[in-house]
Amino acid sequence: MVTAATSAMAERLKEDGNSCFKKERFGAAIDAYTEAIALSPKVPAYWTNRALCHMKRKDWTRVEEDCRKAIQLVHNSFKAHYMLGLALLQREQYTAGVKELQRALDLGRGADPTGYMVEEIWEELAKAKYMEWELVSAKRSWELNSLKETCEAALNQQRALDMSQTEEYSDEGYSSHTERLKALDLVFEKAAEEDKPTEVPDYLCCNITLEIFRDPVVSPSGVTYERAAILEHLNKVGKFDPLTREKIDPSKLVPNLAIKEAVAAYLEKHAWAYKMGC
Amino acid sequence: MTSSPSPSRKALSKIACNRLQKELSEWQVNPPTGFKHKVTDNLQKWIIEVTGAPGTLYANETYNLQVEFPQHYPMESPQVIFVPPAPLHPHIYSNGHICLDILYDSWSPAMTVSSVCISILSMLSSSPEKQRPTDNDRYVKNCKNGRSPKETRWWFHDDKV
Repeated sequence: MVTAATSAMAERLKEDGNSCFKKERFGAAIDAYTEAIALSPKVPAYWTNRALCHMKRKDWTRVEEDCRKAIQLVHNSFKAHYMLGLALLQREQYTAGVKELQRALDLGRGADPTGYMVEEIWEELAKAKYMEWELVSAKRSWELNSLKETCEAALNQQRALDMSQTEEYSDEGYSSHTERLKALDLVFEKAAEEDKPTEVPDYLCCNITLEIFRDPVVSPSGVTYERAAILEHLNKVGKFDPLTREKIDPSKLVPNLAIKEAVAAYLEKHAWAYKMGC
Repeated sequence: MTSSPSPSRKALSKIACNRLQKELSEWQVNPPTGFKHKVTDNLQKWIIEVTGAPGTLYANETYNLQVEFPQHYPMESPQVIFVPPAPLHPHIYSNGHICLDILYDSWSPAMTVSSVCISILSMLSSSPEKQRPTDNDRYVKNCKNGRSPKETRWWFHDDKV
């Protein structure tokens, strides 16, 4: 049973831990959080804070342990899912890691502005997904190419066979053969299209960041923006819609779930769009 | 040669850098009519050649615009000036400063270099006569020491020109 007195003491230890963390004294911070956990083991923040210290020290096994514990206590901590995702990726548990990051992204959207981490989570997820795409698409392209070569060889063989059976050279036979080769080219070109990076359609990109949406919100004028960008605009530039110049109250922004779904569907098919700029 | 007035020369933020790369690649595919970006390796300062639109007072004349981006672009407007000699225009000072509200008070982060260029060209195109602003000499004298036009408290000319 945790009494009010012990939980107050645990809170103080957490504060100690936080101030050590700020001074980058991670070992001391870990000790403080560990004591806090001993006193009051059911507070998820103690576990995630300690996990963050382990992360700073690249102690990924411990990051994973602490995050799993935090998730047991509260299933919707985006910080725990985020760090767990990173730990799993470090251990090359690719699929599980990506799943955790995706969960973190979902939970992190619309989180309170001070703890908003969508961009960081996105970056890690994008890195992992892009790397996966590079591997998978290289393999796919290699397979397509060898299949194409096989098909071409088969057509050429057929052509040679046809020629040996007819005595005379026929223009018709020649042109239908080249037509087939061309058609084959076209088919394979089409097949490779989805793996060819192009431009993400404008309607899936924010007018401020020009990047594909991470956390789209719609303004009262009906324009969709990246949440972090429109909030920064409202804070720094003015309380108006950047496109229509209509007045906006920040509380009037609502998530655009349809665009969020559209982005997810697009990325599923065109994973190259995870590529980051700078 | 005097050095051009420059805003705080702090490096671009990551957001600014990402956005400018996007704008540049979009520009390369689809540049606004009448404009040519002179390629340099400096993402933070673009030099853009503008040619007066046919059928206007500035037809066939070419000028250079210098666009410099602040650290927190696009939350702050870029600094846009003509590299002297600047076109003779009632809203363009001889030092290249441009009196155009979207570059200052009316900036919005949804605007781009491309849309700014189009506004400038349309401002040139609608000019009825080639002349300097009436307060040109006083203004230019006040801008000595390389003051940025973004530090000017603009009192915008009418919208007719």
